[in-house]
Amino acid sequence: MSDPDAYIALISSLPGSERLFVAKQPPLSRLRLDRRLKALTSEDAKVLKVMEHALNWSAYDMDVTDAQAVLRCKQALAEIPQSSLRRLFLERMDLRTVVAALRLRGQGGNPPSGAYGFGRWSRHIPAYWGDPDFRLSTAMPWIKEARQLLEAEDPLGLERLLLSVSHKQLKRHAARHLFDFEAVAIYVLIWNIFDRWAQSNAQNAAARFEKLAQKAMSNVADFDFERVSA
Amino acid sequence: MNELVLTLGWLGIYAPMALGAAASAVGCSIAGMASIGAMTETDGGYGRFVGVSAFPSTMVIYGIVIMFTLNREVTPENAGGLFGIGILSGIALMYCGIWQGRACAAAINATKEKPEIFGLALAPAAIIEGFGVFAFVFALVISAGIS
Repeated sequence: MSDPDAYIALISSLPGSERLFVAKQPPLSRLRLDRRLKALTSEDAKVLKVMEHALNWSAYDMDVTDAQAVLRCKQALAEIPQSSLRRLFLERMDLRTVVAALRLRGQGGNPPSGAYGFGRWSRHIPAYWGDPDFRLSTAMPWIKEARQLLEAEDPLGLERLLLSVSHKQLKRHAARHLFDFEAVAIYVLIWNIFDRWAQSNAQNAAARFEKLAQKAMSNVADFDFERVSA
Repeated sequence: MNELVLTLGWLGIYAPMALGAAASAVGCSIAGMASIGAMTETDGGYGRFVGVSAFPSTMVIYGIVIMFTLNREVTPENAGGLFGIGILSGIALMYCGIWQGRACAAAINATKEKPEIFGLALAPAAIIEGFGVFAFVFALVISAGIS
């Protein structure tokens, strides 16, 4: 267990994680966050880097295979000494494993035998491949909604659902940590969710802009520019 | 044997003062770190943060008063009583001071986001102060029975 008072000044110098999601402007940029995180000891900074490297999709190449991703997460787990952070990490892996299985099944695949994920459900899922929710709807109540969004081909909705589930998981763990390293790590992971959330909003806005632009431009062909200029 | 008993008596006299000072130092430093962190994030209300971070300093005052109350000629007959009251009240003050510092740090961290909860956020620290006062008052009351 970490020193409960290790990062009092650091945590107090960060805006509340709730504010990240309600503010119109991001209250804390990554640059400023990194500057604050310089207060971490080298060991804690390394653990945080390992966690972020394994959990952030932006840290993965586009052509990464399932086996490589699973291996990276397993290696990361071995380097996390804090039990709370290990639990948190495994919960996120469970979530990813279930989503990977849903995607595989959606593509018409058979029950996976190789590395598609890891964690406590990795053997359970192939055993209940035929069940719509892999018999996990009690342990993971969000799975039904995720499946429906996947079937409706709504990736943005699915992304938001998963971010929301991850956020709730992190908030649950955050309640047990006030000023220790776990609190800092959880804050940074919530910041990453906020960042993804903000990006998905930007993507949504860009898609809507493109749709509106196409609609507006569709009338341009009938428009007589010469008459207007005359 | 008498020397050991007398030593314990002196230990009991000075313990509330020493442990109270340690409690105040640790508590104030915990709350002080939170107030420094909060100052970098907020644009005002710095005085309130510093004021709250000084809350645990009362523990050393209680310790000093208990020490003066217990201070008397140490004899083999009263040394056990002095030791018991002094050590136990000192430990109580130490825990109160350290945990009050943590409660103050949490209050400072919360009020930097929502200044309107300033009073309510201090309630846990005030309750802990009450426990410190219990340890202080009853140490004085019970020390009257020591010859």
